[in-house]
Amino acid sequence: MQTILDSFRSIQNLQIDARKFQIVYLGFFLALGTLLLDWDTQAHKVLIVMGTALFTQTVFIAIGRAHISSWMSALITSLGLCLLFRGNELSTLVLASTLAISSKFILRIKGKHLFNPANFGIIAAMLLTNDGWISPGQWGSSIILLFIIGALGSIVLLKVGRLDTTLTFLLVFVGLEYCRTILYLGWSHDVLLHRFTNGSFLLFAFFMITDPKTTPDHPKARKLWAICVALLAFGMSNWLYLHTAPIWALFFITPVNALLDAKWRTSRFQWLSERIIKPYIT
Amino acid sequence: MKIISSILAVILLLSTDANAFCGFYVAKADATLFNTKSQVILVRDGERTVVTMSNDFKGDVNDFAMVVPVPTILKERDIRVVNPNLFTKLDDYSAPRMVEYWDQEPCMRYVIQEDEMLDMAPSMSLKEASITGMNRNAKKYKVTIEAQYEIEEYDILILSAKESSGLKRWLIDNGYKIPSQAEEVLDPYIKNGLKFFVVKVDKERMANPNSDYLRPLQIEYTSDRFMLPIRLGMANADGEQDMIVYAFTRQGRIECTNYRTIKIPTDRNIPKFVKDKGLFGEFYRDLFAQAHDREGRNSVFLEYAWNVTPNFGMKCDPCVGPPPMYQEFVDAGATWIDPNNAWGSSIFFTRLHVRYSREEFPQDLFFQVTPNQEQAQGRYIITNPATGDMSCQSGQRYLKDLEFRRKREVDELAALTAWNEPRYARYIYEFSDRIHDEDRNTVIPFVPTGDNGGGGIPWKAILGLSALTIVSLIWLFHGSRKKAAVS
Repeated sequence: MQTILDSFRSIQNLQIDARKFQIVYLGFFLALGTLLLDWDTQAHKVLIVMGTALFTQTVFIAIGRAHISSWMSALITSLGLCLLFRGNELSTLVLASTLAISSKFILRIKGKHLFNPANFGIIAAMLLTNDGWISPGQWGSSIILLFIIGALGSIVLLKVGRLDTTLTFLLVFVGLEYCRTILYLGWSHDVLLHRFTNGSFLLFAFFMITDPKTTPDHPKARKLWAICVALLAFGMSNWLYLHTAPIWALFFITPVNALLDAKWRTSRFQWLSERIIKPYIT
Repeated sequence: MKIISSILAVILLLSTDANAFCGFYVAKADATLFNTKSQVILVRDGERTVVTMSNDFKGDVNDFAMVVPVPTILKERDIRVVNPNLFTKLDDYSAPRMVEYWDQEPCMRYVIQEDEMLDMAPSMSLKEASITGMNRNAKKYKVTIEAQYEIEEYDILILSAKESSGLKRWLIDNGYKIPSQAEEVLDPYIKNGLKFFVVKVDKERMANPNSDYLRPLQIEYTSDRFMLPIRLGMANADGEQDMIVYAFTRQGRIECTNYRTIKIPTDRNIPKFVKDKGLFGEFYRDLFAQAHDREGRNSVFLEYAWNVTPNFGMKCDPCVGPPPMYQEFVDAGATWIDPNNAWGSSIFFTRLHVRYSREEFPQDLFFQVTPNQEQAQGRYIITNPATGDMSCQSGQRYLKDLEFRRKREVDELAALTAWNEPRYARYIYEFSDRIHDEDRNTVIPFVPTGDNGGGGIPWKAILGLSALTIVSLIWLFHGSRKKAAVS
């Protein structure tokens, strides 16, 4: 037990910006999907999404709205888009990428951006263009995915202190699904397992819902917020048959952040590079 | 000869492909029943879904009955019998195909031509019984007969139930034979608010009562659930079952939301003997089996995707038959197609092939309509060699290239189907005796590699991922030292 705690502490104490881990892991997932899972990843689309995101971020850095190290955030957002979002037209991808990054600087409350950028970009592009979609089945379901995404995700979450958000979300969502799928409907356990070892679901739980910049700052608020996302996602997937329910739930619940932050005040999250070099510029 | 080889391919494929269905068969007699290949046409427009079902029922039509979970109580006008030719037409049009090319004569000018071929033709069947007296005692089973129709040769009931044991007893007491495993899935369906569409056949109303061939049934409903309840079909089938889904939407491809939807390997150059010996049917059967194994036996394969809007232009390459036209779309349920408004009648055709089993497919198949317009087809290329004068320099070069090309074709065949026999060397060296001795030194002797490719380890992917991991680690920890120094 002591060894496990020690390794947790050593991960937390590593002097590496957590965003670097995220970039590496998301890049790895994209390569994994493309090379092993036969995704239709097209190099020019990946470059367009990344290029647009980095360009938009550079503009905001240039006008003094963002820290120089924030190019890493833009890269994470664009990798998230490449992993989740599909579009026929390049213009759809450019739109999603631009809106995702811009939302961080335009939709702000008390100096904190409101929406998870990738989440906002995806939803906005889908609503505005009718040309974008998410393929929730692209990862398939596997225990191996649970292990890989869970292990790599936990390292990032330990560093940014957001493991509580993921665990609360998973606990509530899986608990509710257990009650409905197994106890009420009477399906066998493998049905539930198949649902929760879906790669898209796990990526959402470990990498999207946990963005430290757009989750409430106070631990209590974060747990409450994760419960809200889980409840809404559970409702939307079971009664509206929405296959991408968690992503929509996150979008709708995000505005509640501002209320939760107002009720439970605490210090705001900063990335390591922002803390070391100079204070975050708002 | 071409016609004979095509027919042979079709028969071989049909006799070896075991396919299935989204409902289950139940029978009165003790006849052994098998689910074989099933085919479903799905039309999705908003929340309106039209499902047309065809299957290979083997046995006496009197013994046929079918139970399909449906989300709503269907009205009589929502149930139709359709012409089986519709399936034949869609299958022929969208099936994986062979395309044939001819090499240019290296020492003279030449001719080009394209040819075709394909696989799978459908077939189907069903059975009969009396409904009389079924209403009696329905209440004691907590089963409600919501509706009862006679539609052409079919007797149809729409049932709703409060509990699976009651429904099961009701079906048994009314002469249906229920697979023992059915109950575990009936319960979740009942609690999820699904109704049961129960079908039998009245032999006397059949156009040809001596036939054991039954026409496809079509149902229409409005529901936000876009799914096929395959779990019920697993109740009386052993092992794996195959299903072909032909889907039509306005926007673009359909894809599975809870299993991977992946393209079948396509545009591969394969040896000419696959065509000459009439092996295309077997080739595709084994290619599918290999791909299914390689992808973990839990994926849905895309075999065809194309915008088939009547005025869209080319819809395949090559096309193996005339494309479906207005009437076929309307028969399938795509009623938005308007012959007077060609531009307003966009229609996209997706063909999916799924081989499922209880172990690998615990959930029913859920689908979504996407705006994805990217076209796809299963296409395998045969190249006929030039056979004329080879004495000129380019002729000699051509012969050497031909050997290399044929070696690649044989390797490709091994990767796709695991066919790998020493006698394939004869195919590679078929024209080698025409290479002059002085030009021969560059020819590399061929020995089959023994690599079954498709089922093997994906070395390229592993190498790529390893390289990425190393670069990432260097980047991560290089930064780490710098940060430590700053702090």
